[in-house]
Amino acid sequence: MRSLLLAVLAAYLIAAIHSILAFVNKRRALQSVAEWSMAAGFLLHTVALIADWVIDGHYPLFFLRETLSFLAWALVAVYAIVLIRYRAQALGAFTMPLISILTFVALLDPGTQNAPAPFSATWLFPVHTTLLIFAYAAFFVVFVASIMYLLQERELKLKTFSAIFHRLPPLSTVNELATSAAAIGLTLLTIGIATGMVWSSSRDGKIWHNDPKEIFAVLTWLLYFSLILYRSTSNWRGRNAAWLGVVGFALVLCTFFGTRLLGGYHVFG
Amino acid sequence: MSIVLVGINHRTAPVEVRELLAFNDEACANGLRRLVDGEVLQEGLIVSTCNRVEILSATASDKLEFSTHRLAQFLDHQRRLPADFLKTHSYQHIDEQAVRHLFRVASSLDSMVVGEPQVLGQVRHAYAIAVEAGTAGRVLNRLIHHTFRVAKRVRSETGIAANAVSISYMAVELGKKIFESLKGRTVMLIGAGEMAELSARHLVNAGASRVIITNRTETTAQELADEFGGETVPFSQFPEFLGEADVIICSTGADHFVVTERMTREALDSRRNKPTCLIDISVPRNIEPSTGHLPNVFLFDIDDLESVITSNIREREREAERAELIVQSEVMQFQQSLRLMDAGPTIGALRQKLQDMARTELQRQRKRLGQLTPEQENAIEQLLISTVNKISHPVIDQMRRFYESSEAEESSASTDPGNGEEL
Repeated sequence: MRSLLLAVLAAYLIAAIHSILAFVNKRRALQSVAEWSMAAGFLLHTVALIADWVIDGHYPLFFLRETLSFLAWALVAVYAIVLIRYRAQALGAFTMPLISILTFVALLDPGTQNAPAPFSATWLFPVHTTLLIFAYAAFFVVFVASIMYLLQERELKLKTFSAIFHRLPPLSTVNELATSAAAIGLTLLTIGIATGMVWSSSRDGKIWHNDPKEIFAVLTWLLYFSLILYRSTSNWRGRNAAWLGVVGFALVLCTFFGTRLLGGYHVFG
Repeated sequence: MSIVLVGINHRTAPVEVRELLAFNDEACANGLRRLVDGEVLQEGLIVSTCNRVEILSATASDKLEFSTHRLAQFLDHQRRLPADFLKTHSYQHIDEQAVRHLFRVASSLDSMVVGEPQVLGQVRHAYAIAVEAGTAGRVLNRLIHHTFRVAKRVRSETGIAANAVSISYMAVELGKKIFESLKGRTVMLIGAGEMAELSARHLVNAGASRVIITNRTETTAQELADEFGGETVPFSQFPEFLGEADVIICSTGADHFVVTERMTREALDSRRNKPTCLIDISVPRNIEPSTGHLPNVFLFDIDDLESVITSNIREREREAERAELIVQSEVMQFQQSLRLMDAGPTIGALRQKLQDMARTELQRQRKRLGQLTPEQENAIEQLLISTVNKISHPVIDQMRRFYESSEAEESSASTDPGNGEEL
């Protein structure tokens, strides 16, 4: 599978370089190269994930290597949706390099290749993890869109437009993008947490283990819930909401890495 | 073929000189008919705008010197210019330089404000006149179509026309940056000055659907409203409508703040904090500066607009450097295609001549061959021609490659370009 993943990495790298060049030079030709190689990479990546699943016999979202690779795959899927819906190509210049790095790190970690899963998982467990991965990907979009919002809002207020200003999508676009991505992320997070609870109760009868990942997840949930609540009541538009989107992502990172640093029930792989 | 260009523009001549030389459409057509004699000057085109007069002509390469003289003479006669007039104000470009100049003009790299789109339309118009007058032939046709392609490329691949460089257009640019699109947006004009009117026109063209106008003199507001299909509100009541507007342009002659921070805050509440773009083009300012500190309010006064425009012009100039590279590569491409166009007929003529020689030789020796069936006769002719073709192929191939290489200019002029026309 490594050689396949290497091809995936190559495609993502080409996409990343061309996204950045397209962002700097505003060339349509470069953008289309980026999009095609991203599509090719995504296709190969999908094949690689399925092959992993078939060969290893467990859902390819368990060990760190698999998680990173799956996260990269989910980010590509989410970015593709954003691209189709909003034509916000500027996002690619930020997302594609991250995706490449995730894929690269996944390749670096050979440790647990082909090891069997330490416990047999029911169908609920893959659903739980998949939903959460996609929730993280959505929150990443909120994060990048919020940064874009803050950068531009600042320049509009200061009345000095830098070169990057003209290359970012309009305020209302990034605002709308952040709002819908947050709503989708929150929905996924909610169902993801719920399925986790159901699975855990069927496993050991407890739905709450007081471990760091759970606590951070709940905090994350609360933050994005208030973000959406504030936005819909319209008191917190623009700047404040964008700051929440940035802070929220810090929490998401804590949730994602929390287990590894602090230990607890959610440690595996 | 050579291309010659003689012209004056806003950099080489002041307006009182340019106006002496300007051609209207009719003078253009008449002038072209007189200028193009089919002998020295074979094709011609005149671009005449307020900033420039350019006379472009295609001529046989060996008559180049004579043709530049003719062009200068033509201008002299046209307008009875004082002596040495052209020497001081005009420029003259030949071949590659002329092509580059035309490409730069059409791509708006030579304009007063880089990137303004009008000049391409003016070149297109000039071409239409030349076509009408019958003075655009195969060289100019090719050149002008190439020019359009270059201009389009420059426009789509660089940002030379991307950012607003006029106060009136800034409203559109800011609106698009804040709202993505102006479609369905509401614009409010406070004060019905000329600049406000111009801005509103741009905004409506960009898709703004509703225009609210308020003015101290209500008849002026009404006149403007009729023009845009807008609505008027009494000046005393305009604060009630502030919340409905996405873009507000303020330009009254008042010497106090017409729009205050408190008013804007109330408006913001009524529009549920949706972003508002406020543009204050009046001096003294009519919108309280502290308004700009409110969240989701973007306030620009005249100085802010000017400074953004300055930076936009700088950005355009940076982009213009990239455009020059495109022009450079396109000039090379065009020169190449022109050389091939010259070479094509010459090579064709050579091949024809060789084949004719083979046929004549056959005719001469035909009697000696005795009785032949038509098939045999045909086969002998084919044999001769294919032998001639095979023998001459390396030479002709070499010639073609030679033409394509950049040093071909001189030799293409000497291999009888006159014959090329008929074949």
